[in-house]
Amino acid sequence: MIDFIIKIGRSGLDYSAAFGRSGLFFLHSFFGLALSLKGLKLLIHQLYKVGVLSLVIIVVSGLFIGMVLALQGYSILVDYGSEQAVGQMVALTLVRELGPVVTALLFAGRAGSALTAEIGLMKATEQLSSMEMMGVDPLRRVIAPRLWAGFISMPLLALVFSAVGVFGGLLVGVDWLGVYEGSFWSNMQSSVDFKEDVVNGIIKSVVFGVVCSWIAVFQGYDSEPTSEGISIATTKTVVYSSLSILGLDFLLTAVMFG
Amino acid sequence: MIIFGKPIGRDKHLDSYIKITGLHFARGHRAIFNGANLNIPRGKVTAIMGPSGIGKTTLLRLIGGQIKPDSGEILLDGKDVTKFKRKALFEARKKMGMLFQSGALFSDLSVYENVAFPLRAHTKLPEDMIRDIVLMKLHAVGLRGARALMPSELSGGMTRRVALARTIALDPELILYDEPFAGQDPIAMGVLVQLIRLLNDALGLTSVLVSHDITESLSICDHAIIIADGKVIGDGSPAELRRSESPLVRQFLNGLPDGPVPFHFPANDYQSDLLG
Repeated sequence: MIDFIIKIGRSGLDYSAAFGRSGLFFLHSFFGLALSLKGLKLLIHQLYKVGVLSLVIIVVSGLFIGMVLALQGYSILVDYGSEQAVGQMVALTLVRELGPVVTALLFAGRAGSALTAEIGLMKATEQLSSMEMMGVDPLRRVIAPRLWAGFISMPLLALVFSAVGVFGGLLVGVDWLGVYEGSFWSNMQSSVDFKEDVVNGIIKSVVFGVVCSWIAVFQGYDSEPTSEGISIATTKTVVYSSLSILGLDFLLTAVMFG
Repeated sequence: MIIFGKPIGRDKHLDSYIKITGLHFARGHRAIFNGANLNIPRGKVTAIMGPSGIGKTTLLRLIGGQIKPDSGEILLDGKDVTKFKRKALFEARKKMGMLFQSGALFSDLSVYENVAFPLRAHTKLPEDMIRDIVLMKLHAVGLRGARALMPSELSGGMTRRVALARTIALDPELILYDEPFAGQDPIAMGVLVQLIRLLNDALGLTSVLVSHDITESLSICDHAIIIADGKVIGDGSPAELRRSESPLVRQFLNGLPDGPVPFHFPANDYQSDLLG
């Protein structure tokens, strides 16, 4: 019994210490981005790796999710004779919920895990230590550009996801199922409010961007420098990010729309 | 060859480039250093030797300020590394270089870019001057022709030579070598031995190498320190150490399988263990 209590206490202390470390790490990295041409070059390179290279998965997923939404929405709405509202339903679902959430989940799986593995491997091969010994702060040189690239990419990717999703909904709703195109767009325009829906969706994706990037770079930086350690850190990134996204989504939805 | 004599009128402790006093450091419950004291002379090649797992690499990391000791003082050119704030530490590191066991080259940069990295990070030199310096440093390690290669295309020995060129790119005052000879073939080892000695003398550096390759280390060092049980057990010139009467020093230098460092890990009585 005592051993059990000791174990719980110890893991509690470990988690608290890791949380404290990650907080300090976040502050150092967040304010560590070099405001110079060099810093900008590093940021653009990471924006390409984290954002541009995630575009394919985002566009393809957005298209399919938009198509599925239209298909499912139509089959329900047609029973009530309201199939003309399918555009409104697709757009609201994407902009408010699925755009930010699915983008963040895909981001965690595609870019987050890659960030963790890359930083973990840099640690295991002593690249971060050698940088430190050269008098170059890895938090500024390696972590900050990756963190900021995540912050910036996520809302943009979510917007692309929602736009492509609406297009997927249009393809299925209008071209396939025969919903009148004028109703599809006019219902959408009249029901989607820029401030209420679009801005709130962007705020969600900014929050998810901060959380996902923070978790990914911290797990990489804090990983055990072994192959097993990197594997554990990569798994943790995907699991912690996914749970945080879903939990935070509920909280943000309750605050914004509740 | 000693090119730096004792400076006249200089404070005595400054003859040591690094002076460590009362060093205590533990990992968990395991004490790595238990009140170790050692001096590393300026302008010389100092070899720090000892059995595996004794904390040699940890000592280099302590000197470089990558980890903090539990207690004790580490004076680097008269300044205590343990008291440095983050910014001061990064400033101090511009004057030191460390050659890692793995080379630690940046895998996404070419050989040329790896060597140019510290120059780009710390200087505002024009590109043509950076090119000249990089080529000079690569020439010094015999790899000017390999500048376009990526780290994945290099052999283990070449990786370390490129890492050495990167380490000397900013002309540091101190170079720390972490197991420079480990896993090297005889030719690569011979090249590294020669380079460490030549660079130290030509650039007027202070070199510290940790190694358990006794023959190679003693062949190039001016000063050797043997660490065991968290303390310094032998300290002096290679000739002095070879004359040492200490059983531990003798066991280590002669590579004897048993002695004060036992062959067997502490265990219960063998017979009673077998009979259950």
